[in-house]
Amino acid sequence: MSKVYFSTWRGESINNIGKPEDAWEESAYNLPEQYNEHASSKAFIGWDGVALFNPDVDVVRLATEYAAQYQVYSEACGRCAPGRWGGRILYDLLDKIARGEGSMADMDHLKEVSKTMQMTSKCEIGKTVPTPLLDLMSHFEDEFLICINEQKASKHYNKDVNYIAKITAPCTDACPAHVDIPAYIEGVRDLKLENSVAATRQTMPLAHTCGRVCPHPCEDECRRINLDSAISIMELKRIGADYETDHGFGYFHPEKQKKPIGKKAAIIGAGPAGLTTAYYLALEGVECDVYEELPVLGGEVAVGVPEYRMPIGKYNEDIEAVRDLGVNFITNARVTPDMLRQFEKDYDSVMIAVGTRISKKVRCANERPEIEGYWSAIEMLDQINLWEKYGIGEPVDLTGKTVVCVGGGFTSMDVVRCSIRANAKKVIMIYRRDEKTIIRNTTYEEYHEAVEEGVEFIFHSAVERMNDEDDVLKSLDFNKFELVPDPNGGRAQLLKIEGADFSRDVDFLIPAVSQSADLDLLPEEWDINMTSWATIKTNGKDYMTSRKGIFATGDCEYGPMTIVNAVGQAKRAASVMVRYMQTGEITLSDDEIMEDHLRKMRVYDKNEIITGWMPGIERSESEKLDVDTRRDNNKEINLGFTQDEALHEAERCMRCYYIAMVAH
Amino acid sequence: MSINFTINGREVIGKKGESILEVARREGIYIPTMCYLAKTTPNASCRMCVVEVKDMDGFILSCNTPPTKGVSITTNSDDLFHERQNIMKLYNVNHPLQCGVCDKSGECDLQNKTLEFQVAQQDFATKEQKRKPKKWGVLSYDPYLCIMCEKCTAVCNQVVGSEALYIKPGGYKSEIDNHFTKCIQCGECISVCPVGAMASSDFKYTANAWELKKIPSACAHCSSVCALEYEVKEVGIGSTFKDKEIYRVTNEADHDSLCGAGRFGYDYENRVTCKDKEAFAKAIGAFESAKSIHFTSMISNEEAYILQGLKEKHGYKLINAEAKAYQNFMKAYTSVSGCTLYSATLDTIRNCDYAITLGSAVSQDNPMIRFALAQAVNNNRAYVSVMHPFEDDMIRNIVSQYVKYEVGSEEGVLALLCENFIADEHRKTFSKFLDSLDEGYICGETSVGEEEFETLNRYKNRKKAPVLILGADLFTHPEAENIARMAGLLDRYSDFDIMIIPSNTNTLGVSLICDLDDEMTAPSLGYNAPANFVLSALGDGDLDMPAMNQQEGTLTSIDKEVVPLNAGLPYHGYELSDIANVLGLTCKHLIDFTCKLPTAKGYSSVAFDDLDNCYLNDGTQVRGYKLDNPKLKASESPSEIADIREFNGSVIYNCNPISQFNRFTDKAHQIIDKAILIGSQQFADAAKIKSGEQVTFSVDGQTITRKFKLSSKLKGTVALNPDFDMFEKSAAYRYTQVKIERV
Repeated sequence: MSKVYFSTWRGESINNIGKPEDAWEESAYNLPEQYNEHASSKAFIGWDGVALFNPDVDVVRLATEYAAQYQVYSEACGRCAPGRWGGRILYDLLDKIARGEGSMADMDHLKEVSKTMQMTSKCEIGKTVPTPLLDLMSHFEDEFLICINEQKASKHYNKDVNYIAKITAPCTDACPAHVDIPAYIEGVRDLKLENSVAATRQTMPLAHTCGRVCPHPCEDECRRINLDSAISIMELKRIGADYETDHGFGYFHPEKQKKPIGKKAAIIGAGPAGLTTAYYLALEGVECDVYEELPVLGGEVAVGVPEYRMPIGKYNEDIEAVRDLGVNFITNARVTPDMLRQFEKDYDSVMIAVGTRISKKVRCANERPEIEGYWSAIEMLDQINLWEKYGIGEPVDLTGKTVVCVGGGFTSMDVVRCSIRANAKKVIMIYRRDEKTIIRNTTYEEYHEAVEEGVEFIFHSAVERMNDEDDVLKSLDFNKFELVPDPNGGRAQLLKIEGADFSRDVDFLIPAVSQSADLDLLPEEWDINMTSWATIKTNGKDYMTSRKGIFATGDCEYGPMTIVNAVGQAKRAASVMVRYMQTGEITLSDDEIMEDHLRKMRVYDKNEIITGWMPGIERSESEKLDVDTRRDNNKEINLGFTQDEALHEAERCMRCYYIAMVAH
Repeated sequence: MSINFTINGREVIGKKGESILEVARREGIYIPTMCYLAKTTPNASCRMCVVEVKDMDGFILSCNTPPTKGVSITTNSDDLFHERQNIMKLYNVNHPLQCGVCDKSGECDLQNKTLEFQVAQQDFATKEQKRKPKKWGVLSYDPYLCIMCEKCTAVCNQVVGSEALYIKPGGYKSEIDNHFTKCIQCGECISVCPVGAMASSDFKYTANAWELKKIPSACAHCSSVCALEYEVKEVGIGSTFKDKEIYRVTNEADHDSLCGAGRFGYDYENRVTCKDKEAFAKAIGAFESAKSIHFTSMISNEEAYILQGLKEKHGYKLINAEAKAYQNFMKAYTSVSGCTLYSATLDTIRNCDYAITLGSAVSQDNPMIRFALAQAVNNNRAYVSVMHPFEDDMIRNIVSQYVKYEVGSEEGVLALLCENFIADEHRKTFSKFLDSLDEGYICGETSVGEEEFETLNRYKNRKKAPVLILGADLFTHPEAENIARMAGLLDRYSDFDIMIIPSNTNTLGVSLICDLDDEMTAPSLGYNAPANFVLSALGDGDLDMPAMNQQEGTLTSIDKEVVPLNAGLPYHGYELSDIANVLGLTCKHLIDFTCKLPTAKGYSSVAFDDLDNCYLNDGTQVRGYKLDNPKLKASESPSEIADIREFNGSVIYNCNPISQFNRFTDKAHQIIDKAILIGSQQFADAAKIKSGEQVTFSVDGQTITRKFKLSSKLKGTVALNPDFDMFEKSAAYRYTQVKIERV
């Protein structure tokens, strides 16, 4: 809910003109009334309407500035006839009216050009820019007419007003790393694949990785869902990345690396968050040392995610892209409190991105780590991946063994599928909730493929007790639950089904319920604020910890989450860190402030009815290795799109760019 | 998979991958476009091709939308007309009204669509930007005229594979720019520009489109024999001597391509004012006493037929070392593959998903191979491995893998290809040959590592249409015969299609039609080749002959097609048919022989005037006819490979600059590359020479003097020595170990 003077946002029609302020009807949407802690907004204007927060807004100038923003945006475009010329005419004519030189014919031409743009523009930006302009011209026609009839400039034409604009898209908004998805898809469509990968790297250095193992929240907010089905956004990312490596081009960075600015940062952890921080700091000319506890780089994506999902050769390309900017990596370096104290002195800022590498317990009776056969998911995956990918340590052979994994997330899927590949006799997944939930928490493909490979899923169940003989695991006792709806309409409850307990002889119990952060490196006297989940606390916007100059991102800040979440946080943090190192201030850029406002408002509107696109065009599905060819090896399962499939998929993208603008 | 739907009430069927626009065009239904280019992916910038779909709100873009089952499409309505008219109004905003002096006037899409959509007045205007016209060699760009349809950048990126042209974004200020060092001056951009923005620097301000007469013919510079149209204008009106001149070359650019040589190398005609009776009599005399006829492969099938006929009648030896090498190569190939002709065409390459080239300078030898590879990379993400002793930096964006082998070791490389790619079920049949291969030795001598083959094998996994492209380095190799047999083996017993690039324009035709000899005996008669008496289309011999742009006849193309050649310009002197008539091969015109070409070699008895030369609505080219490829008995097997000879010190490679092929392209005024020796710093250091110096060396017994130029793009000890200016191409192996001396 927002307090507005006037709003046409998302089809609402709120008009408090002439009403006393205490009688104002509120908007149903989370509009950015307050721009930041220093400024309140005067108006918000965007693809789906306009909202005024007070009566003093110069609507003629607001319209002109919005059209001007389209000109600024189209600096990077101008790629369709209606957008290129139409946008220019909108601006020229509006400015002509606003400065007091317009005529009635200009108003007619504005409406005519607007309609052509709405009907025929290449992307949503061209189609939607006229929408709020037409709203203003019809609801505040008088103000336009005053300018025309009296041939005078609009009321604030020469006043200083801040107009802050931001380009977004539903998918970009939904992506935690705010990747410019339409741009990288357009690179594929135009067969300018170097542009595609460069667009991805603007906010996402791990193009190979997130073209393979991202849970793609963007695809849940793809506007194409309203028409038929979401674009296969994630897989299209792979096309540009593969092109770069297949042709040995080196690395296409989004911009030229800045010269050294004389600042140094220490980054602890070489997982997605650490790599991302280093990448964007290095691009800005900051010297980066990355400390990694393990002998290998990449964090959980390297030692957690199995080869068949994320080939290490491809991930190493992402890591090399970071190293390409001169980032210094120090492996086998577990950071201690003493070292961290020293880092604070030696570096201009420090990023803690150590992830969550302690498997949580399943909380059953007799759960003692010393029992042989009790094996944490992290340790198991470490051993498998270090061996399979790097030849470090020794292989895992589960021949003849029965393995039970307790989990329900990605890690547990990796455990059970790796167990199959390690030749286990029987692999069982124990999950407290149902099939639908496990699919929601992972992906349909992941679950489906695990079933195909022979994993037995037992839903609504939990381990009650570990039974050992001389500290060797022999069997497990399980409880069964059922989901009982709350008669009062509250959340359904899991209730134990009496008499449904069962036991199984097993060799291994692998807890993969969740992980916690190992934060022994934090000096006690720093007394860093923690969340109730025992992760490092920040405000979730600038990612600085309670200690100045010490930042935290990724799983150790948020708790176990996705790669793309870690990347998004780290990208933002790197931007804050650069400013902090140069000015000593913690600030967000206007772009970042707008990014957060938009996310709060949600760009995607699931109720929107889409016109101008043909529905029923099927989404491309890439070929996967069949179960017999993949079950006993580490071959990458997803073969990726052929060029035909990629182009077909890229053509489905509706290029839903939008411009949002705040006046304050 | 087919999709039934209707366009304007007519039942049509869409194929998988087709857009609504493609179906409409195929069916002959008109939808206006400004930016659509059939041979590239849709740019979707003009928005003119919007259509209405029954029961759907809004307009649908037809160029990039596939039809779905049962939809009814309407391509024309008052609403559509109105919006298209508005788009044309926008396109006309500030478009300079210089049609009177614009090259494109009369064939301009903007002009045509402005007329079609009746934009009689200008309602909108906006402040014009400052822009700067550019000249990039053969092309001139006027940003004021540019409508940003993006056809030029699409063609440069997707068809040529140069990625020279790009969009410099700037919204209303956007324009096209050129990474000029990547530009190969092919002029594809000019051919697709719908307005006068991308113009030929040479043609500018010389003629109105409607004054030019189009004569469809074929390019005669290389074996691709691309379709083109000579655009000819009468000059010297009112003077006693009326003549014609070719003003430019165009083509069906929506579907087809030309390289720079084809587009700009057209004015090589032999201008002869009358029949030189005296020279003709001498020529007949020379024929009567001659023992051999020496000729090149830049002749038509009919001329080749005459030469063969003269041989049969008068016992001449026919000498054409280049075609002979190709003929021998194909013979050995046939003995194992069982096919008279190689299996691939340019389309096979365009549609391939995996290509290996071996023994060819891909950028220079045959531009259409490069174009086809670029299209395969873009359209099918083909894996392209270029095997050659040095890396060609110009095609880095096309190539996935460079495999550098030692000069002279081609036989070994082909043996490794056999070892890797002969299908398992046939290995036993050829176990004697395969077992004889000592991989360790071959890898050592070729410098091709196991790793490179591992990569090749890894990327070949799941590929469905692999092709192997073999070039001219192989035909003249000392072990050419065995190389050819291995190629035959791969054709028959692997999944590769094979392309054996004919080394000159009509090498394939000559090698099929003529029974060629090895040794020349004096006295000799030359046709565009050195001899005691020379017939020359360059005007520097003893009797003038018409050049290929002045002849009617047919050529046999790389696609194994017989395609018609029409005379762009008249020729007033004697032709080979005149000589044939005197020597007992009677004909009225050269083209009387077209239907007599040897059917045993795959030719058909089709008369010249019955040869088609057009395109269908869907872009299919209907041109001449395809040669039969009769199957023969295959009995041979490759033999054990010879010891691999090492090439040390300075090595010269016969290789022309892009667009220079022969003395005819050299004569064309827009093809300006000079005959200079180009080498790396390493080459210069080893030969103790500097850039700019005149150097001399000997190739195949001939002493050559050239200016040397250093190139930072080259590495290693092989320098490129052009032979386009030579009277005759060397028939020796393309690489020569030489001693370089300063002049």
